[in-house]
Amino acid sequence: MRPACFNSTGMHPQKNPLLPIMGHLVLGYPTLAESIRTAERYVRAGLAILELQIPFSHPTADGPVITEACRRAVEQKVTVPDCLEAIRTLREKFPEQEMMVMSYVNRVYAYGFDRFYREMERLGVRHVIIPDLPCQPHPQPLPPGGGESDLVTPHALAIEMKNYSAGKPPSPRGEGLGLGSQVAILAANTPSSRLNQLLAAGYDFFYLMSDFKITGSTFSLHPGLQDMAARIKAHDQQNRVGIGFGIETPEQVLAVLEVADYAIIGSALIRAQQEARLDNYLEKLKKVLTPATFPV
Amino acid sequence: MILTQTQYRRQILDSTGFFGSYGGCFVPEVLLPNLQEMALAFDAIKSDAAFLAEYTQTLQQFSGRPTPLTPLPRLSAALGGARLFLKNEGLNHTGAHKINHCIGQVLLAKRLGKTRIIAETGAGQHGYATAAVCARLGLDCTVYMGLKDYERQRPNVYWMELLGARVIAVEAGEQTLNDAVIAAFKDWVAHPEETYYLLGSAVGPHPYPAMNTFFQKIVGEEIRSQCLELNGRLPDACVACVGGGSNALGMFFDFLDAEQVRLIGVEAGGRGTSPGTHAAKVLHGLPGIFEGYHSYFLQDGDGNIAATHSVSAGLDYCGVSPILAWLADVGRVEFATAGDAEALDAVQTLARTEGIIPALESAHAFAHAFKLAAEMPPDAIIVVNASGRGEKDLFITMQHFQPESLRRYAAGLL
Repeated sequence: MRPACFNSTGMHPQKNPLLPIMGHLVLGYPTLAESIRTAERYVRAGLAILELQIPFSHPTADGPVITEACRRAVEQKVTVPDCLEAIRTLREKFPEQEMMVMSYVNRVYAYGFDRFYREMERLGVRHVIIPDLPCQPHPQPLPPGGGESDLVTPHALAIEMKNYSAGKPPSPRGEGLGLGSQVAILAANTPSSRLNQLLAAGYDFFYLMSDFKITGSTFSLHPGLQDMAARIKAHDQQNRVGIGFGIETPEQVLAVLEVADYAIIGSALIRAQQEARLDNYLEKLKKVLTPATFPV
Repeated sequence: MILTQTQYRRQILDSTGFFGSYGGCFVPEVLLPNLQEMALAFDAIKSDAAFLAEYTQTLQQFSGRPTPLTPLPRLSAALGGARLFLKNEGLNHTGAHKINHCIGQVLLAKRLGKTRIIAETGAGQHGYATAAVCARLGLDCTVYMGLKDYERQRPNVYWMELLGARVIAVEAGEQTLNDAVIAAFKDWVAHPEETYYLLGSAVGPHPYPAMNTFFQKIVGEEIRSQCLELNGRLPDACVACVGGGSNALGMFFDFLDAEQVRLIGVEAGGRGTSPGTHAAKVLHGLPGIFEGYHSYFLQDGDGNIAATHSVSAGLDYCGVSPILAWLADVGRVEFATAGDAEALDAVQTLARTEGIIPALESAHAFAHAFKLAAEMPPDAIIVVNASGRGEKDLFITMQHFQPESLRRYAAGLL
């Protein structure tokens, strides 16, 4: 099976076959400059999507590797503006590269939701990943003429959440403003009614948890994901599916790509970098994912 | 503005998870089915006579409720002001108010068909109570505890293990309550189907804040009738310590509509006001979204959660109940702080004048009540929630009051 991403990234697969991998790193780990260089290595290796995590003091959904990377970055007082500046540097170097930004909700909240989403738009980041912000609550579209940075208040967020609890549909993006879309992070226990709701609402990138676990755990692939991915694609062929949590070996990547468009790799990449074997690891991934494996 | 009790009930116990703009359910999608299942079950049991009868009966037969409202005449005379009373939640089985919501939640978990309970604990009181209730009702129990708390609350670790629970010391982060909460959430993410997460305060995502308030409000209901019986009227002030807020909300809920009753939450002042030296969220925190809820959190200005400090493990936590955040904003609950040293002094004062040794957490409420009593007229009535008893703090208070004696005892044991 050929991963759909070869056509959906906007790249010409013949000229520039990207690896169907979303590569994660923590901005500011081990230093901000070093994390930018790591991102450059990911891009040069051909990873289809960069996942750039804004470090947080208490990454509740991450395993020990990413937690430790966050701790080190936070210790160096890497701020949200620092991270945005790093993303800007990368964007200038790689205008075509697909980038997603991952952050825990409190850092976005402290920065200001609308201000953050406007920055994402300016940086050409079309998707944000906020693991502790379920899909319902999303910054309200700003009222016409409004442009101040503090318009999306926690109160607006609260109203939005109340709307959802009253059965109103979720909105994945701030319509009319071109704000970044939120990635829906789902697991095998997501009820099909919930999936239908999110599909109908227009979410277009689905990050599926490989199994019930935190990042960096031992890999296993929940049998229910195949059907879930198929339903997501059946709803709209343009919808994209990534699977993450615990993926490390090329074999695991191949197993995931049987089901999804992208394998999402985080802890394993960070470990490879820590052990000074990142290029070697990327090369290994590249080898199993050559166009021969996925003929275009 | 004071609302009617019906309105408070609707806004707090029957809410969809928001208290003003606070609260919510900010968790990874994988946890939503569990929380929704829990919220539905909570809605159902609130008016289920059979469930409530079993809850009340277990509280009476297993935990010894009702707990007494005890006048403190010698202490009141010494302070020279208002008449002080204490609600002795420390006389509950396992030594604190925590067992009230543990019984409620374990009964709820059984109703949901869950076989495994996980919990976090700070001082160890919630974990101890959870372990005891699980043993009694026949459920598997795992308790997460920050390593620092694990070390300073050894007696409770021992009791939990004796009761058959598995206690896991969490080495991440500050190694306190916060890290235990995160570890428990991670466990839940990994085992969502068979596991019930018994969160131990009125914090976290919906429905925990409302649910734990519901299971704790018996404290205030008893105080109301006991105070009426003893004094023929309601108290002028209710004082409770605030870590997450479960004992405070338990005490305050039934008095929310009684405008004449001042409700005062006392936060841990630690040893100062600079970041990392205290745990006063309402007074020194900023609004944030963390661990599933929107409330006040101790944090830096850039959205990272700050370190906390308190001599009492149970108050050493970065967030506060979204219900209390709302009640603080609308002016119904006042907040104050008491520091480490004041709390330790309060333990000794209460012990010597009234023969009662409070938990270090509750001692914060007493430290503030002592000051308050001196300012109020002699006919005023102040009730302090003695949320727990002090035996668990043996090694901390002994280190403070009799360090040499503790050293000799420890050396002798070895």
